[in-house]
Amino acid sequence: MRKTLSIAVASVGLLAAVSPVWAHHAFAAEYDGKKQVHLEGVVTQMEWINPHTWIHIDVTAPDGTVTSWMIEGGSPNILLRRGFNKGSLEKGQKITVDGFMAKDGSNRANGSNITYPDGKKLFLGSSGTGAPVDPGPGK
Amino acid sequence: MSAAVVCMFLLMTPDEARAQAAPAKAVAKGPRMTDGKPNLNGVWQAITTANWDIQDHSAAPGPFWQLGAIGAIPAGQGIVEGNEIPYTPAGLAKKKQNKANWPAEDPEAKCYMPGIPRANYMPFPFQIIQSNKDILMAYEFASSNRLINMGKPVEAGSDTWMGTSNGRWEGDALVVDVTGLNGLAWFDRAGNWGSDKLHIVERYNRTSNDVLNYEATIEDPSVFTKPWKISLPLYKRAEKNAQILEFKCVEFAEELLYGKYKKQPTK
Amino acid sequence: MKQRVLTALMVIAAGLVSALLTTMPIIGQSAAPKAKKAAYTPPKLPWGDPDLQGLWPGTDLIEVPLQRDLKAGERAEVTPEEFAERQAKAERTAANDRVTHVAKDSKVGINPPGYWLEHGIPQKITSLVVDPPNGRIPELTDLAKQKAAQAKQAKQGHGPNETWEDQSLYDRCISRGVMGSILPVIYNNGTQIVQGPGYVAIRYEMIHETKIVPLDGKPHPTSNIKSYMGDARGHFEGNTLVIETTNFLGDRNGIGLNGGGTPHSADMVLIEKWTRTAPDMMEYTATINDPKTWVKPWTVRMPLRLNPEFPLYEYACHEGNYAMFNMLKGARADEAAAEAAKAGKK
Repeated sequence: MRKTLSIAVASVGLLAAVSPVWAHHAFAAEYDGKKQVHLEGVVTQMEWINPHTWIHIDVTAPDGTVTSWMIEGGSPNILLRRGFNKGSLEKGQKITVDGFMAKDGSNRANGSNITYPDGKKLFLGSSGTGAPVDPGPGK
Repeated sequence: MSAAVVCMFLLMTPDEARAQAAPAKAVAKGPRMTDGKPNLNGVWQAITTANWDIQDHSAAPGPFWQLGAIGAIPAGQGIVEGNEIPYTPAGLAKKKQNKANWPAEDPEAKCYMPGIPRANYMPFPFQIIQSNKDILMAYEFASSNRLINMGKPVEAGSDTWMGTSNGRWEGDALVVDVTGLNGLAWFDRAGNWGSDKLHIVERYNRTSNDVLNYEATIEDPSVFTKPWKISLPLYKRAEKNAQILEFKCVEFAEELLYGKYKKQPTK
Repeated sequence: MKQRVLTALMVIAAGLVSALLTTMPIIGQSAAPKAKKAAYTPPKLPWGDPDLQGLWPGTDLIEVPLQRDLKAGERAEVTPEEFAERQAKAERTAANDRVTHVAKDSKVGINPPGYWLEHGIPQKITSLVVDPPNGRIPELTDLAKQKAAQAKQAKQGHGPNETWEDQSLYDRCISRGVMGSILPVIYNNGTQIVQGPGYVAIRYEMIHETKIVPLDGKPHPTSNIKSYMGDARGHFEGNTLVIETTNFLGDRNGIGLNGGGTPHSADMVLIEKWTRTAPDMMEYTATINDPKTWVKPWTVRMPLRLNPEFPLYEYACHEGNYAMFNMLKGARADEAAAEAAKAGKK
């Protein structure tokens, strides 16, 4: 059953599971929902900081000009618990980012999708706490 | 003492004998845990002006004349052995830049966590909770804290303000190896600093019931030409009701940090 | 004469008993609900206290609501159908997280990726609030309702993000308060207990809190000393650690997720109980006594599982709070744009 789930169904499920969840935080106050961006760049640095990580990328325009962007991710503690560390995203790695641009026009975006050039998601890992997927312990 | 040792003593000068008799490792005074290790539990605090300047310094006016003598800088004897910090030229230049931008750029003013070693000599108490496993240090300033891992050493997964601390006992000395510092904390208000390549080895020796001697060897090849050392006593807070309180200082620093971005009153 | 002596003796005895009850820790079994099987006895630490140490994250309980659905009434457990729904939802989430590549038609959101979160394990409990019996927070007092109305009034005509005070204490990286530091949220529910002779320390991952609980029975400071996390004093009743926390700053944090919800008063008394019910299970309850805010006390219960794979990492929130700068700058940009638009229309 799990193996046959199509990607289309999964992305619908993604919306259902994800949309209310980040509501507590004020991403909406930082980013403009009308200014969607698609960035293909090269990692120059990743700040493994709280409350949110920041991935710095250099984006080269067709005419050769290079613009630096900062991409806001989630808390690094989650990634650390999955076994990732500060060396996991190397300088020079190409990544693609889809998100929305900062309200004040600066080169910042939230990383709604952060992937390798082939579309594979960054920092995939186990989704649970390391515990069995069975129902919780009986009481 | 054995006969051989006694003979050895008789053959030495008094000075040689004293030096020879000194134990190779410090023996802690004060209570012990049931496994025999020194018990460092308690509320501790440094009495020193190191947080102003870890080197010798004279009294000086403070940055705000409005505070009068309250805001002035006291004189103090430093905690740096030899009183010299072996900066590289670039390292020293950055220290001077830090100092010139004090207090606004001092992470302390922003209520950022003080890092190691500064946390240990802030003018605030801290508490050591020593279990049969790990050792927790809870600092009053900005609710900073760190857990000293006494088991198998772990590597720092990321760089943090309070670093990654791996500890072990060497006789009665608690030796703590600190790495994974982010290089953003300062060592004092004089702008002394280290980068994210810092490697600090701390030694805690309880020399009496009320004194925990603290030493730290600091190395950072990108900032210093060689390792250097600080040392100072930490004193046990003897009040019957000794405890750390709360100093959550973010609210005191928000105007400093964010003031220019708040909505200005309309003209 | 005999009667008077007897009465006097009874008065003295009553006084002694009452003095004992108020000044000494209560030794022996607490009046807990009857266990269905023999109670687990945790190992003792070398200094004699029960060993409660370890990593006890609340992560499993993510998705158990704080308050019970009204439909559930006094039911403490979900129906088999409801549980199946929870399992199905968890499976959908896990399946989403297993999708390795982003679909070309994937909708772009304004948040980080959904897999950058932590997830619970489907639970049978209907809510974290277990008392009142309907699993819902009691009514607010008139005073609390008045304060809420006044706060709402004060916000009239006030734009978003005029200053940092327009953000929550959590987003300002100040504190989530005691309950806000343990109620399960979407990530970083790390909770760790470290014990020393005469003390229990509880570390909370967000926002790098350490609650230090002295066990020697010394009194709280006077009410002149108040704090976000309050002042804690504890003792063991059998194998249960009982913590009484007072000396709170009032009108700041609430008792909701991340410290939200109706702010509690400075007079709140929080009674927490930690009981290790199995080598890998801890029963945690917290009773909120704040007659200035809620008409009666209420209790939250969380069964916590020992998880050595859930170490706490530093959560230096304030130090990395670019978001605060960005939110303020964003609001100023919006205001400037609105001003320019108005000027353009004239």
